Amino acid sequence: MPELGRLALAIALLLAIYSIISNVIGARRGSPEFIASARHALWAMCAMVTIAVAALWTGLLTSDFSLEYVASYTSTTLPTVYKITSLWGGQQGSLLFWTWLLSIFTSIAAFQNRRRNPNLAPYAMAVLAGVAIFFLFMLNFITRPFDLLPVIPAQGTDLNPLLQNYWMAIHPPSLYTGYVSSTVPFAFGAAALISGKLDDSWIRSTRRWAIFSWLFLTLGNMFGARWAYEVLGWGGYWAWDPVENAAFMPWLVMTAYLHSVMIQERKDMLRVWNLALIGLAFCLTIFGTFITRSGVISSVHSFTQSGLGPYFLTFLIIVAVAYTGLLIFRSGELRSPAEFESYLSREAAFLFNNLVLIGIAFAVFWGTIFPVLSEAVRGVKITVGPPFFNRVNGPLALALIFLMGVGPLIAWRRTSAKTLPRIFAAPVLLGVAAGLVVYTAGIRTWYVLVAMSLVAFVAGTVIVEFRRGVVARRHMVRETTPRALVNLVAKNNRRYGGYIIHIGVIIAFVGIVGSSFFKTEVKKSVHEGQSFTVGAYNLRYLGLSETDTPHMESTTAHVEVTRRGSEIALMSPARLFFKREQQPATRVAIRSTPAADLYVVLAGLDDNGASATFEVFLTPLVFWLWAGGLMMVLGTVVVMWPNVRERAAIAQAVRGAAGEIEEKAPESAAGGS
Amino acid sequence: MRFRLRFAVGAALIAAAVVYLITTAIRSTAEYYMTVAEVGAKQGSLIGQPLRVAGRVKPGSAVWDPETLTLKFSIVPIPAATPGIKPVAESDPISFAVTCVGQPKPDMFADGRDVIVEGKLDSTGHIAATQVLTSCPSKYKPALPGSGASGAGAK
Repeated sequence: MPELGRLALAIALLLAIYSIISNVIGARRGSPEFIASARHALWAMCAMVTIAVAALWTGLLTSDFSLEYVASYTSTTLPTVYKITSLWGGQQGSLLFWTWLLSIFTSIAAFQNRRRNPNLAPYAMAVLAGVAIFFLFMLNFITRPFDLLPVIPAQGTDLNPLLQNYWMAIHPPSLYTGYVSSTVPFAFGAAALISGKLDDSWIRSTRRWAIFSWLFLTLGNMFGARWAYEVLGWGGYWAWDPVENAAFMPWLVMTAYLHSVMIQERKDMLRVWNLALIGLAFCLTIFGTFITRSGVISSVHSFTQSGLGPYFLTFLIIVAVAYTGLLIFRSGELRSPAEFESYLSREAAFLFNNLVLIGIAFAVFWGTIFPVLSEAVRGVKITVGPPFFNRVNGPLALALIFLMGVGPLIAWRRTSAKTLPRIFAAPVLLGVAAGLVVYTAGIRTWYVLVAMSLVAFVAGTVIVEFRRGVVARRHMVRETTPRALVNLVAKNNRRYGGYIIHIGVIIAFVGIVGSSFFKTEVKKSVHEGQSFTVGAYNLRYLGLSETDTPHMESTTAHVEVTRRGSEIALMSPARLFFKREQQPATRVAIRSTPAADLYVVLAGLDDNGASATFEVFLTPLVFWLWAGGLMMVLGTVVVMWPNVRERAAIAQAVRGAAGEIEEKAPESAAGGS
Repeated sequence: MRFRLRFAVGAALIAAAVVYLITTAIRSTAEYYMTVAEVGAKQGSLIGQPLRVAGRVKPGSAVWDPETLTLKFSIVPIPAATPGIKPVAESDPISFAVTCVGQPKPDMFADGRDVIVEGKLDSTGHIAATQVLTSCPSKYKPALPGSGASGAGAK
């Protein structure tokens, strides 16, 4: 099997090279035969990479320790599910997995465009093949997943215990899917620049890809946060670690991109900006891989330091320079005839939202690379921690939320100042009311007051929008309110799905604000039978129990939680010791409610368990972060819902009520793959 | 053209706000990241500054009091090249006393472990730490978010 995998990867590299040449020749000569041949080569490449993945998976599942990779990341006692997920548990495997996703997405894009976009698609396929060549080069020559060990060990080293967790099983694939699928819009953007076909067809052809990528970046970030929260045991979910930042920056840029392409589709503006954004998004995915693999950014969380850094950096520089060069080369043709007409226009709100998002991304980038910069410039390494990121991004987040409320309500081109009070009266009132409620509740932190007012304001604008749509439908189509609501979303899924995402964002934001500003932390060392209080809760340490398996030892503390005298929970945080790895870990006990999470960590034991140290966090509203994330995902699914259903719904409406006023053309009719 | 200019002004304002936030935040949150040897060399100028100091726990120096959650130890330079072979000499010239109050003892904390201490240095060469982080000694390091290879204490 290893030989098969190695051979498949070598053939895949040759096929990718062939595909570039054939695509370019086909595009220049206008020869469909060459282009078709290039497409078939990409499909064959995908088949080859699939064989390699199958070979590695076979090795992992059969514990073939002759393979260095299998011996390094699994053991015979590892549960099967983690043998499967070990494919992305280590460096070579994760790069193979990345390449596999890339080849699958490339094949799908090639299939979708076999008859469409004859000017654009060959170049886009060539770019995709170029990216594949880089990864296949790495897998063939630099970091080979099928390397053999000189001596076959009896047992493997096992997957790091911290990664033996279901969130970790699904977090990397989500993130990689998000990363890799952004390559498709990037390739079409690059193809537009290469071919000179600079209208918005590259955007329309890849709109769904961009949303798909954004969906998985959202999921990836959320899963990562959830993993940190449940597994790492420090009571938080986001530490602004370089690795987290690496996943967050592409998300920010893709968010900006998804908004600004609407301006180009509508108004034919911001052509250069959109091309720049998608280029930046792609570069950031490579940059993320670079900083996490190179060890350039030091962190307590020592990264896998490997020799891969220079290769990724070289690739990144080549891509960035070539792409920027193309942008400059085409800049004359990219000048847009349209111009902004007013501050009070939706395109202005979108543009400023873009600037704020890019501002946040830049701040995150700056904070991440600051130690390297300061060492290079001043000779001392200066690090900035979470306070830096919170301080910069806190106010910017408020600006973003504000614009999120303003944007959707004001019209394209211009809104007359006279209509503003009518449009915004209700949301502003709601915002002020929310601020007053929070103030009356005794909260005086300015940030929280402003944040909650803005959240209510945005919620108000969304409600106004839904209400306006439902009233119009009831009036025109004579539907009942629930029916009108369903049809409104179904027929304008892009627009109303977007609003659902916005609601998700503000719900998540409430969770973030609540958990950041009102977290209570208590550290206490107590003897058996003693109790201590955390907020309204009383915790009593009942004692320990121990279990011992060949895999690990665990020491579980039993804690009785009471509130106002009545028992509400028995919580069991534990300390684990993984024997093979000789590594301790904690198992956190969490009691989650919409109001607050009680989070108990067994931080230490002394005197043979007679006394135990607990670290307890009472974190209000953190529940809503996950709820908001779920809402964002739901909204994205609505946005991506195929237009087939939309057509069916329209047809049904026409059948059901003949002679009605015809639906205004839904916004979502615009293109999409 | 008038509008184009106005938008340039708007965009410049946002950019200026971002730059302002970044510079002020860096000024108030920056910490020097240094090794014990570097701190030793510049001791005078670092008093009262927020620091992150990378070093090694001097064997035999650690004292842990669970009642008050107080951890005391001495931090010494990490010997170059061959860790684990050359024991830290008792006569090592540079050493700082560290006290960390109010934090649980990190999972992997032990004599001879490499640690990062966050805190401030006072004039007597004592570091009042707000956080002690342990580095992961294992061969495989998780390359994924937040990777709290240090178990607890990862913040």
